[in-house]
Amino acid sequence: MRNTAKPLWPLAGFSVAMMATGLVWAGFETRLFQDALVWIKPFKFALSFAVLFATLAWAVDKMSASAQFTRTLRWTVAILAAAFWVEMIYITLQAAQGIGSHYNTADLYHNVMYAIMGVGAVSLVVGTGVIGWAMLRDTGARVHEDLRFGVGVGFILSTALTLVTAGALSSMAGHFVGTPPVGAATIPFFGWSAAVGDLRPAHFLALHAMQAIPLLAWAVQGRVSARVWIVGGSAGYTALTLALFAQALMGLPMVRL
Amino acid sequence: MTADDLFGLASGAVLPGWLILMLAPRGRWAWLDLVPSLILPLGLSALYTGLVLAHFSASGGGFGSIAQVRMLFASDYGLLAGWVHYLAFDLMIGAMMAAQMDKMGLPRLSQAPLLALIFLFGPLGAFLIWVAQGSLRAVGKGGAA
Repeated sequence: MRNTAKPLWPLAGFSVAMMATGLVWAGFETRLFQDALVWIKPFKFALSFAVLFATLAWAVDKMSASAQFTRTLRWTVAILAAAFWVEMIYITLQAAQGIGSHYNTADLYHNVMYAIMGVGAVSLVVGTGVIGWAMLRDTGARVHEDLRFGVGVGFILSTALTLVTAGALSSMAGHFVGTPPVGAATIPFFGWSAAVGDLRPAHFLALHAMQAIPLLAWAVQGRVSARVWIVGGSAGYTALTLALFAQALMGLPMVRL
Repeated sequence: MTADDLFGLASGAVLPGWLILMLAPRGRWAWLDLVPSLILPLGLSALYTGLVLAHFSASGGGFGSIAQVRMLFASDYGLLAGWVHYLAFDLMIGAMMAAQMDKMGLPRLSQAPLLALIFLFGPLGAFLIWVAQGSLRAVGKGGAA
């Protein structure tokens, strides 16, 4: 059987390539969509995918051979790859036409594509949890057992929090709670609203539990209190994510600028 | 045959080549691998050679400016030659890139969208593959290159 981890590194590589595409595109682009240059969204998604796939590839690389070569993992990686291409290509195609991808329900085609992207996004999120679960159970993994615990907890927590925050995002007509005035302040680089509620900061924290908790675990691994740190840190991270989520739902910006 | 007939013939001819790259097993039958990498590009190159020798000078165009290049493509046969050039080289590059992606350890499912990008927007697909390959090598994950 093929090593199931292998396609994950190339997927990270193609995410980096999509970032490069966004940067060369930026040199020629003048069109705006919702106050942002149209190349920015595909670039941000590519960056996010690069971080996601590098993290997953690293984790699967550390698994024992018997955990790597399972049918579940092979299918998970195949589904992740398909979801990546569907999301990335559609978001880029739409941006190149200067029109929306998420929340674009203009006609049947865009409705169907928005629904397919939803299936893709859920697949990516659930796939992360599946790999986290496999790591948690893999006693032969070539990392400290505290780090293995942190990776498992972080990945699964990321899945749970993302299903909550992104689930709420998808049930709404857009990522804002309230209507930002034209040209209203945004948080630099991220582009989140600094004027009205914006669900994206909570979504961002939810996604990156899969890096934050493993990093915490790496920092405290080997200590007697390591598990307490990891569980406590996960609880604190969850509280922070949910606080940002509640703040946005109340129509308040993360910070007012 | 009219320029339109030749256009249809050439455009149709590359499709089996792309399908072989995307779907057929590689490395099992040498003759099958040769269809997209040599046989079809060779046939299209022959067609291009005939078209360009017969129609280039009559166009009055050249390679020196946008205006000159536009003149090259002013006639249907000039345009057809340009199109056949795309078809031949995109397929040839597609076959080379597929072999590169095999070495990167990329499964066929993930190669298909990239090959489709080369088919539709040649250099865009090649750019993606080169940057991906370069960034993987930079972190020591380049595969058996």
